Amino acid sequence: MLRRVAMRVGRLLIWLMLLAASIAAGHRACAARPPLTPDAALQSILSAARAAAATSCADPADQLVRILCAGTIRVGVRDDYPPFAAAAAGGRSGFEVAVATRIAAALGVSPTFVTVTPADRIALLAENRIDLAIATMGDTTLRDGQARFIRPHYYASHTAIVGPRAIPLRTLRSLAGHTLCVTVGDSSNPELAAAGVRLLLFAAPAQLIDELHAGACSLIAQDDTFFARYFAKPRFSAEYETKFTMDPLPWGMAVARSGGDQLATALSLISEIFHRDGVFLRLAERNGVAPAFLREQRAVWQRPTCDTAQGFANPACVLPPRQSDMARTRFAGTVAAAEAFIAAHLGLHLSLAIFKLQPAWDLVRQGILNSIILIVGTLAATLGFALVIGRALGARRRVLRWPVRLLVMLLQSTPPVLSLVIAASAANAIFAFSAALALGAAILSLGLINGGNAGQAIAEAMATLRAEEAHRPAGRPALSDDVLYVHALRRSLTQIIAFLINATKATPMASFIGAPELLNALTDSTSFSSDRETTYWLLLIFYVVAVLLVVRLCGVMRGVLERRIAAS
Amino acid sequence: MSLLPPALPPSFLPHLLVGMLRDFAMAGMALGLGLLLGLPLALLWAHPGRLRVVPAAIVQLLRAAPTFVVMFFLLNILPHQARLFGAEVTITKQFTVALSLLPYSASIVAENGAEALRQLRLGSTLAALLFLPNLARTYFVLVMASGSAAAIGVREGISVILRQADQFPNFGARLWIFVLGVFVYGLILQSGFFLVLELRRRLAKRVVRRRAAAWSAGGGKSDGG
Repeated sequence: MLRRVAMRVGRLLIWLMLLAASIAAGHRACAARPPLTPDAALQSILSAARAAAATSCADPADQLVRILCAGTIRVGVRDDYPPFAAAAAGGRSGFEVAVATRIAAALGVSPTFVTVTPADRIALLAENRIDLAIATMGDTTLRDGQARFIRPHYYASHTAIVGPRAIPLRTLRSLAGHTLCVTVGDSSNPELAAAGVRLLLFAAPAQLIDELHAGACSLIAQDDTFFARYFAKPRFSAEYETKFTMDPLPWGMAVARSGGDQLATALSLISEIFHRDGVFLRLAERNGVAPAFLREQRAVWQRPTCDTAQGFANPACVLPPRQSDMARTRFAGTVAAAEAFIAAHLGLHLSLAIFKLQPAWDLVRQGILNSIILIVGTLAATLGFALVIGRALGARRRVLRWPVRLLVMLLQSTPPVLSLVIAASAANAIFAFSAALALGAAILSLGLINGGNAGQAIAEAMATLRAEEAHRPAGRPALSDDVLYVHALRRSLTQIIAFLINATKATPMASFIGAPELLNALTDSTSFSSDRETTYWLLLIFYVVAVLLVVRLCGVMRGVLERRIAAS
Repeated sequence: MSLLPPALPPSFLPHLLVGMLRDFAMAGMALGLGLLLGLPLALLWAHPGRLRVVPAAIVQLLRAAPTFVVMFFLLNILPHQARLFGAEVTITKQFTVALSLLPYSASIVAENGAEALRQLRLGSTLAALLFLPNLARTYFVLVMASGSAAAIGVREGISVILRQADQFPNFGARLWIFVLGVFVYGLILQSGFFLVLELRRRLAKRVVRRRAAAWSAGGGKSDGG
């Protein structure tokens, strides 16, 4: 009996030892085994989905199962954006169409194409009228809440700066002080303006090409995918080139937010594989799409750390979506209520987005502050230059008078815009561009132009006083030049005030050289708001009020001065 | 930084001249529109009575509108196409620039026109005739101001200069282009102002001659001018 018990205990111990050994061996084996590949993970998901499709097509649990049951995947593509997607009598073509076809093949189904537009592509996903959108859609944090983006991204666009090959500008920094033609509302405009680039605004991208050909624009900026079709033409690519690109925006395929977890995972794994194996790259090259981004991505997805079943969730491998969801201002609710009130009672449909979105409001606030600095600075510079130039022009010594006279003549002969550009170019040649530099150059330039004219008025007044002095009553001692100068200032006060007002009116021109005043700020804010009418109405009102205030202020100061003179 | 003048393409000067002609055209349009709006204002303003407050206020407002802002405002507010008396009209950028100069030109026409009418009423023909040289001076100021059109992509003189300057990376070369631009614009402006002075001098001479003739014909009675 005891022997039998001992044998059973012995066997149990052996079993336990074997179990422990096998667990340890298993653990060692697991530790040594490489992580699951995306290919294996994809096969696993597809096998499970096929199994589900074989049994439950009446009520599919996931969109992937529904696709397998239907034997087709409905893909939303554009029909007007070559070389990405275009439709013609011969059928659909383009990079995105080719990608959709390869994805359908990887799933073992056929593609059914549905034409979508930027306006309806997300809505069609939400309404389950398409299973997948591959439609030039940038992955942004804002859109992330509306559709489920497939990562890794299948492409990325950039803002490309294009110009004649002869122009040697290659960096954003080198563009400071140069003119660049852009479209209104382009998301890169604020960054370009902040770099000191003079922005010329156009309504549509096609206009940029016309202006480039016609010579009105030396450089143009637009999405690089827009330029793809033009660079496909030998004549265009012989004459022009992409100087540099900036502001990358990853493009993502998207599925509906709900009901498609397995589909989304399968598409992410397919994307990983397509990047790693160069499928995306080959399709891009075949369709004339710029391959630089896809080459970079291929290298990324060939890394062992990224080429895994979970690589698509690894932040070190996947690009983040562009930040686009903007914080709202504290008073956004009040502004919205005001919009509604005006619409209801006055029938005016205002869109005051610049007061509702924090980044736009920050821009506007900074623009107003800079405009005030610019106006005050220009007034001070005008007055300062007027006093100095007036004194020099009124001097008896020719050596002082003639160089200043020549300077005034030059200033008067130069169109104000050109004066500003010359000042800004000179400043940029010495210092690196900055907002303060642009403001300083504008203040100096506008102060010189208007101060020169006002100074001339002072000198003319001085000349009349000297002529009168020549016929002074006998016995009265001659007035000194200093006294005459003070009288000349008094006599030319109307002219000085006129040029101070002119200087105020000229301040918005500073936007042309990149000074971040209100006109520039509001132009930048159109990147956040499509409503230009309200924006430019506000701009006009601001500057008219500013000029009227300066007129009033000058009037008050004139009154004070005249009362003091009368009293003395 | 090289200070030697850069080699300019042969097309630069013709393009600059064509661009400057556009400046002249825009200034002409602005002055024409200014006369259309400014002269009725001048008539009202010169009229003695309470009604003159209205044109005075309008002129004050017109004077306060910065041309550059008005240009951007109109560019973004005006439609590209409009119907005028049943006909489809394209609103070009040049026309937009001319319109943006309208507040300035109209206010000057109204102000000087009203003054000329007052002088005429007082019997001073010579002072009234100063309206013409002032108008000519305004035209040249408008030519210079129309250079702002470069900011919205109009192919006028300044934009030709800036485009050429953009071709050169160093400031020395660009400065030469700017100097050339200043010279050409300066030549036109100074010639214009010289013509204005000459016009004023001739007018003065003619009026003095006429006054002298009237004086001798009327036995020493002047026309008051």
